[in-house]
Amino acid sequence: MALNMIELESVSKKFCEQLVLADVSMTVKEGEIVGLLGPNGSGKTTMIRLMNGVINPTSGQLSVNGLNPQHDGDELRKNCGILTENAGLYHEMSGMDNLIFFAKLYGHYDKNQIANLLDEFELAEHKHKKVGTYSTGMKRRLGIIKAILHKPRILFLDEPTNGLDPEGIKLVLKFIKELNEREGTTIFLCSHILHQLENICEQYLFLNDGKIIESGTLTELQTKHVSRIQLKVVTNLEPEEDHWADYPVIKKGKNTLQFTLPSRDHISPLLEKIIRKSWIHHVEIENNDLESIYFRVRGGRDE
Amino acid sequence: MNNKLIWLIASKDIKAITSSTQVWLGLVLLPFIFSVIFPLVFILLIKNFPLSSPELTDLVNNVLNGLKEANSGGLINSLPSMKHQIIYVVVNYLLGSIFLLIPSLNAMMISLHSFVGEKERRTLETLLFSPITVKELFIGKVLAAFIPSIAITWVSFFLFGLITISMTYEMFGFLIFPNANWLILMLWVAPMITILTILVNVFVSARSKGFQEAQQLGGILILPIMGLFIGQATGFLIINPMLLTLIGVVISLINFILLKVMTKYNDRNTLFEKQI
Repeated sequence: MALNMIELESVSKKFCEQLVLADVSMTVKEGEIVGLLGPNGSGKTTMIRLMNGVINPTSGQLSVNGLNPQHDGDELRKNCGILTENAGLYHEMSGMDNLIFFAKLYGHYDKNQIANLLDEFELAEHKHKKVGTYSTGMKRRLGIIKAILHKPRILFLDEPTNGLDPEGIKLVLKFIKELNEREGTTIFLCSHILHQLENICEQYLFLNDGKIIESGTLTELQTKHVSRIQLKVVTNLEPEEDHWADYPVIKKGKNTLQFTLPSRDHISPLLEKIIRKSWIHHVEIENNDLESIYFRVRGGRDE
Repeated sequence: MNNKLIWLIASKDIKAITSSTQVWLGLVLLPFIFSVIFPLVFILLIKNFPLSSPELTDLVNNVLNGLKEANSGGLINSLPSMKHQIIYVVVNYLLGSIFLLIPSLNAMMISLHSFVGEKERRTLETLLFSPITVKELFIGKVLAAFIPSIAITWVSFFLFGLITISMTYEMFGFLIFPNANWLILMLWVAPMITILTILVNVFVSARSKGFQEAQQLGGILILPIMGLFIGQATGFLIINPMLLTLIGVVISLINFILLKVMTKYNDRNTLFEKQI
């Protein structure tokens, strides 16, 4: 059974009198990819800072890789990689010089590894340019290389896809997944762009106003929060009433219908009935993706 | 303590200084004026033009009054002309104290940038997330300001000496430079003042959020140097080897206390929270 790589128990953090994290408890197992989701200002970055021991909790207990971040921070940070929201690179230095500097800072300078990563992240031809001349996406990719140079056991990524173009997002997400599979790296991701994380994380934590309001795997969250299925069907079926085959239906556009079903089990029987009369070009469950669940959970809180 | 990490931080900062023409020009301009332009122009003027300024004569008299009891007073009095006396007094008394501005101003500029610059570029956050200890980070930053400042000071001292000696040896018939005052200033007081300036500025810049705030606080250190200069010009406090050694000892004590306070009050948590 996998060990707990990160454990937080009733952790709170105040800045002056402002409560930023309130009584947060959670665990992350070794080798997991965990997504911390929440709006801006919900406390995601503060959690990462606490777990790296660069700020101290006001109360509560933390353990990361079996160490207390507050007291064994320097030892802990040797095994942690981090991409901060601002990539934290030296703009007056070249991409290559930045990587050499950070590799040495973590005591893990390997020129071949740097060259391979620059290739993998499509930055090899820009390695001698000053980072100040890089685009936002290039800085982000270089920041990710910087975070993994020393082969950390835990990787913290704060908004890793910010500023990336679609190709960059795909490249980074694919890399994260492969790194986790190849090296067994525990990855803790923060983001507010939810659909990007849907196929990446094994566990999700929803953070709101400094509190974890929900957590679990996608399946667990779906079971808990999706009681009725909204099924989008692109078909030439034209129901004349607001029910078809006993299911409520709404016309959403030309050749697009939305059915409301009591559970997933009703999908196949419904589609069989439609296909007997009409064609079907596309079928999609609309309300069980991460984003819908997130808004439902947050909506519930607001109410 | 990991010396490799300390040197890594120091060499990164030094490289940043030397690779930016704008920065290193700013650092060498004042020393160049003090050590090359000023002695050249001053000695040439005094040597070649008739003296008509009563202020310069007053200046020599002020220094002579301050040196009543000392051997150097007799030496100045024994010089053959007022021109000789003026050159000797300016070279050995006035310029000595004002020369301290070179390490002080340079160390201030470099060390102010060291933390405030990292904060403004948001790179201090990355450094604090790395396994370097705060002590190693501080020492690296202090070295990064100390090495260029003291190197520029010593090169300036050498150039100043070269120009002064080559222009005055024939006139005086002996080496008027360097004397014990200069050697103690350069080898003992200047390094101590440089370290003091750096410690104060690193301390201030680590805890302040912006460059201007840090600059105002850090700039206060220039005042004692100006005081020492005024002391020479008015004859109120004339430098001598004993006084300079004592000044160096006092500054080294202040440095020691500052270092203790710095490591006590600037833990990672404080540094981090001061920048967010």
